[in-house]
Amino acid sequence: MSSTRRWKLLLPLGVIAVVASVLVSTSAATSQAREVRVAIMTDCKGGFGFGYEPDIGGAQAAFAQYAGGKVKNKKKPSAGMTGIKVGNTSVKIVGYGCGDDTVPTAVKETRRLMEQLKADVMVGPLSGDEAVYVANYAKSHPTKTFIIGTAGSQDPTLQIAPKNMFRYFGDGAQWNAGIGEIAYKKLKWRNAAIIMDDYSFGWTSAAGIIADFCAIGGKITKRVFPPLNTTDYSSYVQQLPAPDSVDGYFWVVGGTGTSAALKAYEQAYGALKPSQHIGNLFFAFLGADRVVAPKVVGSYVGGFGTGPGLKTKQAKAYEAIMAKHYPGLNGGNYADGFVSNYYHGAWALVQGLTKSKGQVGAALQKAMPRTLKSAYQVSGGGVMKLDGNRQAIQDQYPLQIVKNKDGSSGTAVVGFVPNVNQSFGGLFKKTSPAPGRTQPACVKKNLPWQGKIKAVKNGTITNAVIK
Amino acid sequence: MTRDPKTLIERAIAVGVLVLLALGPLVFNDYWVDAILTQALIVGIAAASLIFLAAYGGMISLAQTALMGTAGFMIGNMVTKGGEGGESKGLTLGWDPTLSLVLAILGTTLIGIVFGAVAARSLGIYFLMITLTFSVIAFYFVGQVTVVSGFSGIAGINNYTPSFVGDMVNDRYRLYYIALGVAVVSFALIRFLIRTPFGLALQGIRDEPVRMSSLGYAVPLHRTLAFGLAAFLASLAGVLLVWWQGQIAPGDIGLQATIDLLIVAVIGGLGRVEGAWLGAFTFIVINNYIRDSWLTDLLDDVKIGGSFQTIIGLIFLAIVIVSPDGLLGLWDRLWGLVRRGGGPDRPTIEPSPAGQQG
Repeated sequence: MSSTRRWKLLLPLGVIAVVASVLVSTSAATSQAREVRVAIMTDCKGGFGFGYEPDIGGAQAAFAQYAGGKVKNKKKPSAGMTGIKVGNTSVKIVGYGCGDDTVPTAVKETRRLMEQLKADVMVGPLSGDEAVYVANYAKSHPTKTFIIGTAGSQDPTLQIAPKNMFRYFGDGAQWNAGIGEIAYKKLKWRNAAIIMDDYSFGWTSAAGIIADFCAIGGKITKRVFPPLNTTDYSSYVQQLPAPDSVDGYFWVVGGTGTSAALKAYEQAYGALKPSQHIGNLFFAFLGADRVVAPKVVGSYVGGFGTGPGLKTKQAKAYEAIMAKHYPGLNGGNYADGFVSNYYHGAWALVQGLTKSKGQVGAALQKAMPRTLKSAYQVSGGGVMKLDGNRQAIQDQYPLQIVKNKDGSSGTAVVGFVPNVNQSFGGLFKKTSPAPGRTQPACVKKNLPWQGKIKAVKNGTITNAVIK
Repeated sequence: MTRDPKTLIERAIAVGVLVLLALGPLVFNDYWVDAILTQALIVGIAAASLIFLAAYGGMISLAQTALMGTAGFMIGNMVTKGGEGGESKGLTLGWDPTLSLVLAILGTTLIGIVFGAVAARSLGIYFLMITLTFSVIAFYFVGQVTVVSGFSGIAGINNYTPSFVGDMVNDRYRLYYIALGVAVVSFALIRFLIRTPFGLALQGIRDEPVRMSSLGYAVPLHRTLAFGLAAFLASLAGVLLVWWQGQIAPGDIGLQATIDLLIVAVIGGLGRVEGAWLGAFTFIVINNYIRDSWLTDLLDDVKIGGSFQTIIGLIFLAIVIVSPDGLLGLWDRLWGLVRRGGGPDRPTIEPSPAGQQG
């Protein structure tokens, strides 16, 4: 046999041997002693891939603070954590899910974490469509417990609402409570267009804006739907009405698309006029503060259910915890929901396990807290409550993009919307269609917080109502 | 009966594997039966449709994933119900699951025949591009036309199965055996067909289309029918996939999924149908276990990046370079080494050069 033929035979055999040894060692490593097994599901690819470390860091900071977890690498949360203990029960993080904001990957990753790695509890996922799948999965796996990471689609806790799923923060619509009223009152918008990512979170986020703006009397004249992760938005921007035919635009374009979408707008209609543009959280979070915000200084932003720079004891305590365990995580922007929502989910889990004495399944689901002293909650003495679907009723903070003293761009809290519930005062129901391209319709309605949004100045909530 | 020892060994291995699979739930744990083996059987059926076209028709199709998804989306739209407690995406027609099953398979086969009729007159890279176009059209159609799906897809499909299929949520072994049965029947169907006059003519067209045309064979018609048959097989995989996943989304038929199926077929071996299941099994096992392995950490440490795509890409490269017939080709080489000092027993299957007629 010639040396070439021998090489051609030996190389693939070598590859097979390496892969086989890897698989054998991995499967052997997964058969460990029984303990509470926790999986953290997030994205490491796709439009939100940069949320991977912030999400894991948020969850693990809570384990470090409240359950004795030892951080392996303060700069890289995914390096892992050891020594987590709740009472006498050991908690093991069995794996990190690597989603890409699509359902097929969520299917594979969820099954890998919950069935192959035998997790009892999932903290996650990150993205809207993923959460819709996980909610359906949760329905057929009642012994497992699911605490949504930071996904903001409405369906998982309203239309699907499995009893073993919890969300300790608002959904995408709740994060936009108050922003429509600000557009109507402060910017005098009456007619606006909206451009939204064409998937569960985009629809839910847009639903909050549409409901809030229309409730007070505004009209949405055009809805445009680019697919998530579009790279060239020029054709979608062309579908928007020209700047002189609407009072403003609501932007619900996220992930890596926000900057590209705004650039396409600039190419079509010239420089961005901040008073004519309002964004959802993607104007301000997950790195947008460095890329997107400088283009729209002065614009209002829906928010993320968090109050960056809010001067309350709870907010400061939370930020100190994050700085202690993962200093500089997410550029030090701990008020980013990608960090804080995972943190709150993991903290709630520690409380649940404490109460259930380490029991999982139904006992844990019963023991999971129905209230939480979450970082940015002010109403109710700083205690956030879950509703009957185990969905948070939380305070919301509309933001504005501002220029910092050092010339960089940041956000300032401008409003305080107390106790926003998922139903938007009865507009969204279990029996109503989930948010979509045409849902909800634009209708005038009284919302519980209408006319009651308080102004926030320099991080302090005032008694003045926004007019 | 053949006396070729290699064939005898292969048949013995096949019988052994079948017995092992038949005893699957007794031998393997639940995760392996439900997640690894069931998925491998389903993906293998789709890959077999691709290999059938490649090995016996000389056509490498990138439309098989789209066709698989077509059946899935049809089922999803037809069986799910709207209203309180129902599903919120798709047409939610609420039709009878058995009727929907038949309609989805027939509909996908029909679409496959139409696709095939358009693509059948091209070869090589042009055939590849036309089928890729079908795939992209299908992806954007279900993504953009939110009435039938939208990018979020349709969920809850596994709650609406025909009575003979049963409860997909709580009785997962039943789905495993259904997938196993369909895989065996698909394999047998292909093996049977390639021995019929149609199959022999198809192989003749693969090797010498001009000569076959001169002899009076309807070359485009044969290719179209072959494409229709492959669509039928892909539709079976699609139906099983939506029962297994419980939902279907455009990502299931996106470019990544299309390439993944091609990789499965290449890893298993484009020359032999059984390579489809070997490739699917290999791909899925690696996908499931590699992320938690030391190899991933090692590649991360040396800044190569140990993602599944990197590792499967390296394996794909190694196979394409040294064993274009995939893992089964490697077996052929190994046997050749024992018998004659190296070399494959079977000719290598490679795509025809661009535009080449024959």
